[in-house]
This record gives sequence, C-alpha cells and structure tokens, in this order.
Amino acid sequence: MIESGFDRRDFLKVLGWGGAAVALTGCGNTSVQDGKETVVSYVEASDYMIPGVSVYFNSTCTQCEASCNINGRVREGRVLKLEGNAASAINRGKLCGLGQAGVQHHYNPDRVREPLLRKGTSGETITWEAALKLINEKLTGVSGDQIAFLSGSVSGHLKVLLGNYMDSLSSKNHFVYEAISPAVQRAANKKSYGVEMPKFSLNKAKVILSFGADFLGSWVSPVHFSQQYAQFRKGVEGKRGVLVQVESKMTLTGANADRWLAVRPGTEGVLALGLVNALGAAGTALSADVAAAVKDFDKARVTKDTGVSGEHLDKLVALLKERTPSLVLSGNGAEGYAHGSQNAAAINLLNHVLGNVGKTIEAPAVVPFPQMLSANGNSASLKKLNDGMAAGNYKVLFTYAANPVFTAPASMKLADSLNKVGFKVAFAHYMDETAMAADLVLPLDSALEDWGTHIAEYQPEGGQISIQQPLMEKLHANTRGAGDILLALIKQRRAEEYKAFEDYYAYLRTAVLQNKAALGGGAAEDDTFWDETLTSGIVKVAGATTALSGSTAVTAPVAAASDAQYPLFLIPGITANLRDGRHANQPWLQESPDPLTTIVWDSWVEIHPKKAAELGIVEGDMVEVTSKSGSVKAQAYLFPGIHPDAISIPLGRGQSWGRYAKGNGVNPFQILDAVFDKETGELAINETRVQIKKTSKRVIVIKDEGSAGGKQFGRKIAVSVSSNEVDLSKEV
Amino acid sequence: MSVTNLLENWSQFRHFHPVDDKPHDPYKWAMSIDLDTCTGCNACSVACFAENNIPVVGKDKFEHGQQMHWMRIERYWDEDVSNPGGRDFPDQGAQFLPMMCQQCEAAPCETVCPVAATNHTPDGLNSQIYNRCIGSRYCSANCPFKVRYFNWYDYPTDDSVWPAEMNQQLNPDVSVRSKGVMEKCTFCVQRISAAKVTAKNEGRLVHEGEIQTACQQACPTNAITFGNLVDTESRVHKQWEAQRVEIDKDKQEKDEEKGGTDLRGYRILEELRAYPSVMYLERVRESAV
Repeated sequence: MIESGFDRRDFLKVLGWGGAAVALTGCGNTSVQDGKETVVSYVEASDYMIPGVSVYFNSTCTQCEASCNINGRVREGRVLKLEGNAASAINRGKLCGLGQAGVQHHYNPDRVREPLLRKGTSGETITWEAALKLINEKLTGVSGDQIAFLSGSVSGHLKVLLGNYMDSLSSKNHFVYEAISPAVQRAANKKSYGVEMPKFSLNKAKVILSFGADFLGSWVSPVHFSQQYAQFRKGVEGKRGVLVQVESKMTLTGANADRWLAVRPGTEGVLALGLVNALGAAGTALSADVAAAVKDFDKARVTKDTGVSGEHLDKLVALLKERTPSLVLSGNGAEGYAHGSQNAAAINLLNHVLGNVGKTIEAPAVVPFPQMLSANGNSASLKKLNDGMAAGNYKVLFTYAANPVFTAPASMKLADSLNKVGFKVAFAHYMDETAMAADLVLPLDSALEDWGTHIAEYQPEGGQISIQQPLMEKLHANTRGAGDILLALIKQRRAEEYKAFEDYYAYLRTAVLQNKAALGGGAAEDDTFWDETLTSGIVKVAGATTALSGSTAVTAPVAAASDAQYPLFLIPGITANLRDGRHANQPWLQESPDPLTTIVWDSWVEIHPKKAAELGIVEGDMVEVTSKSGSVKAQAYLFPGIHPDAISIPLGRGQSWGRYAKGNGVNPFQILDAVFDKETGELAINETRVQIKKTSKRVIVIKDEGSAGGKQFGRKIAVSVSSNEVDLSKEV
Repeated sequence: MSVTNLLENWSQFRHFHPVDDKPHDPYKWAMSIDLDTCTGCNACSVACFAENNIPVVGKDKFEHGQQMHWMRIERYWDEDVSNPGGRDFPDQGAQFLPMMCQQCEAAPCETVCPVAATNHTPDGLNSQIYNRCIGSRYCSANCPFKVRYFNWYDYPTDDSVWPAEMNQQLNPDVSVRSKGVMEKCTFCVQRISAAKVTAKNEGRLVHEGEIQTACQQACPTNAITFGNLVDTESRVHKQWEAQRVEIDKDKQEKDEEKGGTDLRGYRILEELRAYPSVMYLERVRESAV
C-alpha cells in the first residue's frame, strides 16, 4: 500500500467541485452561484409568469413607418425575440430583419440614460425636473413663431398630443421630416389617382412593371408587399406573375425580376411615355390628350434616350397588352430627380392607359380619425425649417425621431443653421449627430418599453390602429417615453386640461376608451375592452374609402444636362437593413450582408465592371467620389447591376456615434447636391453628379460571396428554370 | 465485395439512420425552400441570430472568415454576366439561395468526428453535442456545403459581442457556445424538443404546423416549409412527393428525364450521396420577356 494523505474519496470531492465550478462558469454569461445575477429578476412575479415558460405580448414595430404588428416573446421578464403578429393585415405573422433587430435597439448598450445639459463641449447629467423647468424657462417670452418642432413621421395619439402642445405654444411650426420617403410619389398619386397612397394589389396583378420601386426591400410597407409578391409569383388563375424592374441601380426587388432593365439614370419617365406610345400603336385606346403628349416618344427616341433595347421594349409592350390587369409602380429610383414628379406622373399614366386603376390600384381604407392619421415625413419640410433657422427665425427647436445633422446634405449647411437657434432640445435614443448638436438631450424609452398608437400610412385592408405596449420593464430608470415627455411639457401650459392624466398611459387609455364605440368596443366594459385591445395589439376600424379620381395629364420629363466635370450619377443605395442609418448601431444589421453585394460592416462604391475597366479600377481600390458639394472615400466593388453612367454608395453608414456604427464606412448624404424636385421641393437624391478617382490604397473587401465571386462554375447550386418548362398551378 | 457491387448497391451499404429497416418513425424533420419566392431579404438570417444566440463577430473576424451565421443567403449571378462576350447586365436578376446545414442523412461530417460529437438523431437530425466537441474541425473540412461554424474565440466573454444589457436578449433555451466548439443550424432543435414534449405529455404526435423554425417563421414570402416528412399530411411531405424527390435516392425522376417535366425540386450536390434533408425548388424566370 502506498501511504498517502490524499485518499480517493477526497480526490473525487476535489474533482467533483472542480467539475461543478467549471460547469457553472463555463458559459460565462450567467451564474447563479456567484451572485451576479438572479434567475428570476423580480421579487413578486405576476401570476402568469412561470420561470422557464415564455409569455407573448402583442405590440407594434417602430423600426420603420410600416407599423407592422409584432408579437414579443417574454421570459422571466425579459423580451427575447420579436415575431410578427399573425392577426395583422399588414405583416400576417411575418417580420423583416430590421424589425427583428428591434430587440437590439432596446438592449442597446449605447442608449442615452440620463437627461444631459450641454456644458461647453460636453454634457452634464441633470434631473428631469431641472430639464423640464429649463425648457419652460427657455420658452417663456418666446412667441409661437419662434418655436419649431422637427419630428419623423408620427401618427396616433402621440401626433395628437404633439399637435396640442404646439397649439399651447401658439406655434404652427411642426416639421415632419423623413430623409427617405415616398413624398414625390404621394404628390404624383394625388394628381393621378386622387389619393396620396392608394392600395396596391400586387397579388391581383399578372404583370408588375416597377420603375425603381423597391417594394421587397425598403419601399412603403415591404413585409406586406413581400407577402403579396409571394402570391403574385404563385399566380392569378395559375399563371405565374411576371416582374419587370426598370432602374439604374439594382435594388433587392430588381434582383428578383424576371427582366431587369438598366435604364440611363433619370430617363424612367421617357421610357414610360414611350411604352404608352407603343401601347397606343399596338391598339390600346388613348385619349387625344394622352396621344398628343406621347406622340414624340417613338421607339427610336426612347431606345436612344433610355438605353433600353427595342427588342425588350417590344416584348414588354406585348406582355402588358396580353396579360391584364397589370400594375405599374414608381419608386425612389425614378423619383429622385429634379424632374422626379414628371417621371412619376408619366409612370402613373401607364396605369390609366392599361386600365389598372380600380383593379390593381384601389381606393384605400381611411381610418376615420383624421387627427390621428399619420403625418408623413418628407425632405421639403427640412429645407423649409433650415431656411427659417438660417434666417434666425427660431429660438427654440425640438427634435424627435429625426437625425437631420446626419441625413441632410452638407450643401444645406444645416449645422450652421442650427447654431443660430438659441436652444435645441433633442428627444434621443442615442447620442447621435443631432443629439450632439443639442443643448438639452432627453433620453427616450425604447420602443419595447413605451406605449403608443400608430396608424400606418399604408393601410392594406380595411383600416387598423396598431397598439404599442411595453414588452418589459424599463431597463434604465431615467428614460421616458416621448408621450410622457410631451404630456409633462403640455402640463406646463395647460395644467387644468391635462391634470387628470398622470402619465401618457393614462392619457392613451382614456382617449381609446372615449372612442370605444367607434373602435368596435360596443357595450363592453371599459376594462374588458382595454384588455382585449392590448391582447390583440390591433384595433380594426371600418375604414371609409374614397373613390379614386385623377387626371392623366403629363409633361414630358426633361433630364438635366450632363456635366463634363462630374460625368457620373451618384445613386445612393437604400438598403432594407440600414435605410437612413438610424438603426446602424444594431449589430445584427451591420453583420447581415447586403443581399446584392454581400458586403458587411462597411460602405462601398458600386461601379459597373465596364466602367471600372475604363478607369482602371479593381475591387477593393479605395476611390474618392467627389461631387460639387464634397467628397468621400470608400472601397470599390464591381457590380454588374448598375448602369455604367452611375455609381452607388449605400446610405445609412458613416456615423460618428455608437460602438457598432462608428467608423464603419462613409455617409453619402454629405456629398449630395442641394437639388430639389421642381414640383414638390423634395431633395432629388439621385441627381448628384460625381467624378470618381482611384487612390493609391487598396483594401480587401469584407464580404460573404466567397472566393468564387458568386459564380457556380457549373455546379448546380442555385438553379433556374424557364417558365415554359414548369406549371406552378400543379404544385402543392 | 467488388467496387462495382459497392457502387451499384450503394444505398444498401450506405448506412441510414435509424437502423433495422425501420426508417424514421414517427418523425423525420425536413425542409423545402422555394427559390422562386425567396427574395434574398435576409430576414431568416437575422431570425436565426435572434433565436440561436449566434455571436456577431465584427468586421475583423468576418474578414478572417470567422463569421458564425448559421443561415446565410448565397447570391449568384448568371455565369455569363460581365464575362467577356457575355451580357453586360444581370438582366434576369440575381439568384438567392438560403444555405444552412442540410441535415444530411448520410452526413459526411458525422463519419469523421473523432469523438462522435456530431451524430444522427432518430428523427433525422444531424446533431451537434457541444460539450463533446474537441474542436478538431474535421467535420467542417468534410462538409460539402460549408455550413459549420467554429468558435475561434470565447464570444460570451467578449464585451463587444454581448455587452451588458445585450446579453439579456440571449435565448435561455439555447446554449451559448464557448471557444473551441463547432456549431451549426439545428433546425431549431429547441423548438422541436419543446413540441415533442408537449405532444408526448398529451399522448399524441406532433401536429403539422406545431413547429416552425425561426427562419420559416420570419420569412415574409413563406418560401421556407418545415415539417415531418413521415407525416403524409404535412406540407413538406406533400411537396417532396409532388416533386418526386426521395430522400434515399441520389438521382431523382427530374434528373432522369430531359426537358419539361414540370418538376423543379432538387437537392444540392446530390451526387455526393449525402442525402440532404432540404429540398430546393428551382427559381423560375419568365420566358416571354
């Protein structure tokens, strides 16, 4: 026997403990034993909370303006995942990547947590009482004309409250701004159809001809349209729908087209009028006015101007004649020019000529609460505000859900104008560029902590009000909802009227219950109706429909002359994930590859391989893109889906804040020329002309397409089949 | 055994799971993905990050090929686009293909694992046992689809991946993987297990539609179908049957007949005889334009 003070039993004890300790700390994230975290994070749990069992709450996504209805999975008091709400007419249980990243907005480590007051170049934490008192002081003695409120698109009770607050200040200066919006389209639709946003029935169309409308990616209500698109592909009467996309820079929708037609930038309207002319020649009835308006757009001219071949033109005309109804859409690709409104009108004319109005373009349902309907943002309003600020008209400026310092072109000199405003208050989630320029920053609750009602601008079926409710307790004690802040502010003016409302929740509940009957509550008890409303997250209301009307008047779109010094068009890319960049600090969105280029975490310059060869540029060359208004440097990516006369840089990157956003890429908003659509005054985002210069630096493009550059080399990985070889109607 | 005999009767010799001539009863999880409705939007991929606690690796690690996305969207251009003599533009769009673990029936990854960390479950999943994995990465080397992802770093302790608050989003039903283990798509096995337990407690089998994978649930165009291939009522079974794709064949009816068969179901790299559990439906392009 070997004598030893260390027996087997003791040894096992040691090993056992060691093993347990490793197991417990192995995952490194949570540990009950070391007391860092408790498994159930509250003392008294609600009845329905069972540790280990998830509960689901309905709410509304606020990542974009589509107001998709969401269903949040909550476990142990924490929201874990967002899904779509299956009862929603908008998204029917589905949710895009941007929407799902809403949890990363909520849990974002870079959120503002305390009210901050500017002290020189830095911010000093102050209390809410002090912040609100300060606002009151700054507003004292200032007339309503000298106060402005800049917000993103806003609807529901928040819009009502905001309107009332502006009334209490005797101010009419509420500017609703979205850097990327279908504002030109709204104006064109109003003229063509009598409504700003009709109902588009993609699923009833046999052919969709889209002029730069990225309805699968970022246009109006992408999740809704994606679902309609799936039905459209399965086909009406068993005949698979055909998508033809006309644009200068391929979008996600373009990448899914049966035929993608590269059009010379800005000539979309010419092509549309050419199609009308050709349809007339092929026997489609045209009114005398229309025939006169399009008579100059013969095939020779159209092919010459647009670069689209006569063969494709003929096939397209034949297709549109043969398969009806069709649907013609106009989007940012066609509208972002100084003649954008004319392009949109010409494109809308096609719907009249093809008889689509009333079939695939229908009257929308209008929610019968006009004061709550969405105030839709555009960029013309920013110009107006900017002009006012530059003239020194405003002493106090509030900003909410907008980051104009980042999204306004540098040529607008917005930062200088802001300096002329005496006191700037930013309602902020992050210390973004606009919050950094503010004098007072008010930290907001995340969308998953806040109450709200939303009425989407695009209403697919009937009318619906989407309810937003908190999915969990507030993460940070000192953030507040925008509604709560506005309520506190309005109490400074109209204490009597609002004294009954302790908080925004109370206001919202009272407001909803006051309209119980109109909201379909009937004779239900208040509490019952309220609970039902929160449970479903959707209030369906009988929407009034207005009949479509409208004119077919068009003026021939005139493109701006080319510029020898700046020969290329800069068409900023609007990506489904990043859009205008407000969510760029959500890492899932940064690491999610751009569908078309597969690039991650950075900006790039899309350039056609032919043009690149001409300029001696290869992939990864850092190129300098210079416009009249400035220049940016980014890596080149050779991209076949772009017209050789254009280049594209995606929007949404180049922030100066946020651990996941900062330092990744460049902000092409900066170098946009201040050119505006002639009719609506919208910023013409595709109108900037640039020159491109290779620098001496070359980098490795960080992308997901693999070393083969997205080629299959004969292996059958992603396979295509021609439509005449299959019959989808026979499929399960 | 002659080589000829081996090749001719390959399917008999190649081992299927489970054994004893009782294949897949009552469950065989399978998928079908319609490439004609898939738009390449990436919603599935983000859903997978959210559901399965996948670390975001950041720019530098992505550059080194250390990305962890279990579900990726592959993007292909037609072969002749921007090649000499080819078309200038991809005028029939791009081709998108959601690629994740194909849950092969004869998975090449399984046979090479020195510690049997990846193996086959009776319901036809290619499973990965994290605490058995020693990180040899042989499985990844042997995977024809390149859908296995290795933890080169200890992401849970990396403050850029799940910093404070962000870690509260982690799904408690899914292990957070540490350095040195291989991981991959599991067909959302945590959702499958939960449904199976519920069904078992109620003395029944899992119904069609009871389990949705995270990618399927998010997909805005319903391009992804998931279900039990054994269940004749399931949509995935009906789709596989309608497309005449049989799980234990390496050549399908579609491959035998040339020309219009009205079939568009296929499996990727079928000739390698891995017998994947994911069927793709070919993208369709209109011939009239």
